[in-house]
Amino acid sequence: MTQFLIRRIFWAIFLFLVATIITYLIFWVIPADPAALAAGKSATPADVARVRHYLHLDEPIWRQYLRFLWNLVGHQQLGNSFVTRQSVNHIIGQDAPVTASLVFGGAIFWLSLSIPVGILSALRPRSILDRVSMSFVLVGISAHPVWIGLILSYLIGYRLHITPIVGYCNFFPGGIGVQCSGPVQWAYHLLLPWITFMILFAALYVRLVRANVMETMSEDYVRTARAKGASESRVMIQHVLRNSLLPVVTILGMDLGLALGGAIFTESIFNLPGLGHEVINAYNTADLPTITGIVVFATVCVIVFNFIVDVTYGFLDPRIRPS
Amino acid sequence: MAALEVTDLATRFRTDDGIVRAVAGVSFSLDKGRTLGVVGESGSGKSVTFLSVMGLLDPRQSDVTGSVLLDGEEMLKASKSRLQQIRGSKIGMIFQDPMTSLNPVKSIGWQLEEAALIHQDITRKEARQRAIEILKQVEIPRSDQRVNDYPHQFSGGMRQRVMIAMALINNPEILIADEPTTALDVTTQAQILRLMKRLQDEYGMAIVMITHDLGVVAELADDVAVMYGGRIVEQAQVDDLFAKPEMPYTWGLLGSLPRLNSSGGRLEQIPGQPPSLLHPPSGCPFNPRCEFVMDICRQELPPLDLSTVGVEHRFRCHLDDEARARIWEQKRAALVSADAA
Amino acid sequence: MRRKQYLSLFMLVLGVALLVAATTVGAATSATQKASKSGIKKGGTLKLNENAEDFDFVDPQLAYRTDDWAMLYTTAMQLVSFPEKTGAAGSQLYPQAATSFPTVSKDGKTYTFHIRPGLRFSDGSPVTAAAFQRSWERILSPKMGSPLGVNLDLQDAIVGGTAFLAGKAAHISGIKAKGLTLSFHLTKPNATFVSILSMQWFTAVKPNTPYDDKGINVYPAAGPYYIKARNPGHSTVLARNPFYKGNRPANPDQIVFTPNVDIDQSLLQVKAGQSDLDIGGVPATAAADLAKTYGVNKGRFFVGATSCVNYMAMNNARAPFNNVNLRKAVNWAIDRPAQVRLLGAFAGKRTDQMLVPGIPGYHPFTAYAIKGADVAKAKQVGGSAIASAPTLNVIHTPTATSTNRAQIAEFNLKQVGFKINDVPTPATNYYQVIQTRGTSYNFVTNGGWCADYFDPFDYLNVLFDGSKLQAANNNNYAYFNNASFNAQLAHAASLSGAARAKAYQKLDQELMVKYAPVVPYLISTNRYFTASRVKNWIYSSYFGSPYFNALAVG
Repeated sequence: MTQFLIRRIFWAIFLFLVATIITYLIFWVIPADPAALAAGKSATPADVARVRHYLHLDEPIWRQYLRFLWNLVGHQQLGNSFVTRQSVNHIIGQDAPVTASLVFGGAIFWLSLSIPVGILSALRPRSILDRVSMSFVLVGISAHPVWIGLILSYLIGYRLHITPIVGYCNFFPGGIGVQCSGPVQWAYHLLLPWITFMILFAALYVRLVRANVMETMSEDYVRTARAKGASESRVMIQHVLRNSLLPVVTILGMDLGLALGGAIFTESIFNLPGLGHEVINAYNTADLPTITGIVVFATVCVIVFNFIVDVTYGFLDPRIRPS
Repeated sequence: MAALEVTDLATRFRTDDGIVRAVAGVSFSLDKGRTLGVVGESGSGKSVTFLSVMGLLDPRQSDVTGSVLLDGEEMLKASKSRLQQIRGSKIGMIFQDPMTSLNPVKSIGWQLEEAALIHQDITRKEARQRAIEILKQVEIPRSDQRVNDYPHQFSGGMRQRVMIAMALINNPEILIADEPTTALDVTTQAQILRLMKRLQDEYGMAIVMITHDLGVVAELADDVAVMYGGRIVEQAQVDDLFAKPEMPYTWGLLGSLPRLNSSGGRLEQIPGQPPSLLHPPSGCPFNPRCEFVMDICRQELPPLDLSTVGVEHRFRCHLDDEARARIWEQKRAALVSADAA
Repeated sequence: MRRKQYLSLFMLVLGVALLVAATTVGAATSATQKASKSGIKKGGTLKLNENAEDFDFVDPQLAYRTDDWAMLYTTAMQLVSFPEKTGAAGSQLYPQAATSFPTVSKDGKTYTFHIRPGLRFSDGSPVTAAAFQRSWERILSPKMGSPLGVNLDLQDAIVGGTAFLAGKAAHISGIKAKGLTLSFHLTKPNATFVSILSMQWFTAVKPNTPYDDKGINVYPAAGPYYIKARNPGHSTVLARNPFYKGNRPANPDQIVFTPNVDIDQSLLQVKAGQSDLDIGGVPATAAADLAKTYGVNKGRFFVGATSCVNYMAMNNARAPFNNVNLRKAVNWAIDRPAQVRLLGAFAGKRTDQMLVPGIPGYHPFTAYAIKGADVAKAKQVGGSAIASAPTLNVIHTPTATSTNRAQIAEFNLKQVGFKINDVPTPATNYYQVIQTRGTSYNFVTNGGWCADYFDPFDYLNVLFDGSKLQAANNNNYAYFNNASFNAQLAHAASLSGAARAKAYQKLDQELMVKYAPVVPYLISTNRYFTASRVKNWIYSSYFGSPYFNALAVG
């Protein structure tokens, strides 16, 4: 088991290095001059040189990268934004909970919807419920989250006044400069974003669950369970679901890891100050530390979640436990 | 009274291509303590017959008609909950592929306990004891430790023993075994058959052994039913069947048995394919492949006639007694000389 | 030179003195006056969206964007400033913290101010001369990271500035602050010095305000508002300064800024009353409808002039646009009305000159086709040089609007007979391509310029003085370098008052009529839409936005 863990950790570190190097290389290949961008439109060369020196941009790229790596590993520091000079740790610390609210809340929504619907569709193939849910799947996969978000906020937020149009409220009451806070407001403002964010995933998961359940229902051991005299509910819960939802765990872990990197579209439409929105702004202003910081964070999330999935899967499926 | 009395059982499947008549009128009875061997090719309807008996077919896609009396109770009219009561307690069933017939994510102990807890009013601890005991009975060593293991930690033969244990844990009256040894190697096969025989002696249950292998039938069965094209085409006590098989399909089955001392060369086979159950042939189901086919065979289904040899030995064939006796003599002689060679 | 300077200041002082007198007299009764103004009630929270990014800094000595300054204006207390008035009146300086315009020494190098007594920061502490000295120190201190004062060479303007910037002195020797008296010693006479003081950089800050290269977020201010809370990237909250006793409006109790809102969603919020105004404006496609429903400048939909001129630049240092006839031909060929229509209704006014209304020296004239492209004339003016011109590299950013703009311009150029190579360039290296000398760009469609301060120098010298061209970071990315014109620019910069305005008026015209280095096409306007409860809209053409402290939502 320890060998398994050690190998996974080494692999994780390797992935991390590759991802960060690629980010740096891409930035280097784009012939942008962040110092000039930061210095302003009427800066003289002396000003730009001054800024460049201050931001360590006059060093060779490998030196900058090593400086970054040392800061990260040695001091857990991701540097400061080129634009606002805020610490990137702080920026991510502020934004991550917002993205997490959106993603985890959305995940609860989509799982609560897709698992029952997928199961029911599988149990009654070609029924009305099944056909309706498959049409929903088609729409959910095809419609772009931006479009869905705009339509929902327009109809439900603006026309019907049922929910706010945009905005985010902190979960914990109080906080600097917040206009609304507290769990109720937080959830109320996240209603439409959750729906927008989760529709695509719900569609994919309904299809996945349906397929898995249908496949599992025709497995031999399900027949055995029935032959033992198990009731339908027992068959479903103990035998079918337990097996058919295993792949869902793997995929859920991966989806959560990726989504944490930023649910960019939903955050932009609903003005949620999360990592996705932040990384778009950072890209527009060529704010390298913020971009890299968010990429690092997203990479770490993906790696961590994959690790959790691996371990959980081993816990759930005895066949792949390292014995 | 017979433990199981089946009369005119017919099963149709609704498919996109049309109605499939998998079982077209099957009747037999099974007595306590006796073993019925059901023989036939794939597609003969032998498995479907017993899945219909157990009520394990999807009612949305299948129609089962006829009568199935279990200790006098009509199973085809029983409620779902009644069927669930009966399954696993009065009738146990084991299946062909032990590799896939066990839930891979639950320990075998859990699965055995489940079988017991569904039907017996006992505590979990007691169920566990029962599980360990029955594992011992099916000759699984260190059963108190292995009870915590998972199916993938057992070999094929061991898994089939576990299946048997699971089917027997509630002392059923009848055990239906659907090709239990087909997926196993010959040595393991022998072991399993021996085990089943021993358990039958101990528990006194009736066994239905569904197989395509006449050798298994010879070893285990008291009575035999030969099925073809969804019907029983011959049924007899085992010795009578081997002594005087009365219809061409049975002759073909016996003839196609490989001989240990044959000189190699091709195995004799019955030419042709099993019939389509979607558009079954008219008349006798075997007529397209029968080397002795006559016009009447294509028009009329031969009724189940009583044979002169044996007790309750029935068969379907339009050939007259004399022709059949003659043909069988010829075939038997050929077989004997092949043996001698 | 000096007498003229003194006179001009005197005239300015005179002109404004009356204004000042009026306001100080009015101050006594201001309380009742305010209450009786039609429909304006104090109180409430003004909710402002911003569809662009958040303020990069709210530290007055690090903030440099127009939005930053529009917000900081409400918290600022300057020696001299612009009043909350519309139009030309809004660009007339008046002494704010100073008792009057400064006394200038005979050699024009010493400016002395007296600070009004009784001014207080939002924490109750008094505003003294040291507060203004501190702002200068923070704008030039190397401890502030990249000090912005360097952008205007302020370290050269003030005695001791260079030494201070180099870290060799603890204070700027040329600034003396004692009690309520403040004096500046300049290295040489500077006609724009007083206007420079109106920039937000020079607001009063407490003398103990620390140097912080990350920028301070929450600090006491002496204006009508102070920054109460700030969450960078999330929100900024201003609250009324309880110690402010002046006449500037302070109508809302609180002003809240929410950045990063999608522009269309923002409009919906304003329509629904969930926000009061998007300070970044309305989507271009919404302007026509809003105008139809609400009228223009009648209540909720507002169109305001800016000091911004949009222009397309030609690379004068490179063929074919080193040929003045071809440059003039292009000015005839570009379809200005089409470019304006592209930006939606009320996007601005067509122009073919660089100066804009409000800048001294602006006088409207038409040199080229302003009503539409004149292809025939373009061909005639360009002559045979058109056919032999090499293929033009046309640079533009890849946004939808920029691409459309470039397509229209390229169509015009092709009509005349030029060959085109379209080069979409991402924003991250756009500036590098055009601002570096010697790159292969010929024509760029994305050009534009807004006033840093209201003086023609900021347009004509900064953008067209060829003697200041350098290897990179050129604002003169037309690479226009004409010795005679350079000399005239330098001369005009040394003038002041009416002579200055007249000289620049001549240069503005000569630039386009004789040399045509660029193709100005639009003086842009800003378009805003307010919620129904918003009253007292007073628009600042300097900031291009309304005075936030004047808006009333009570």
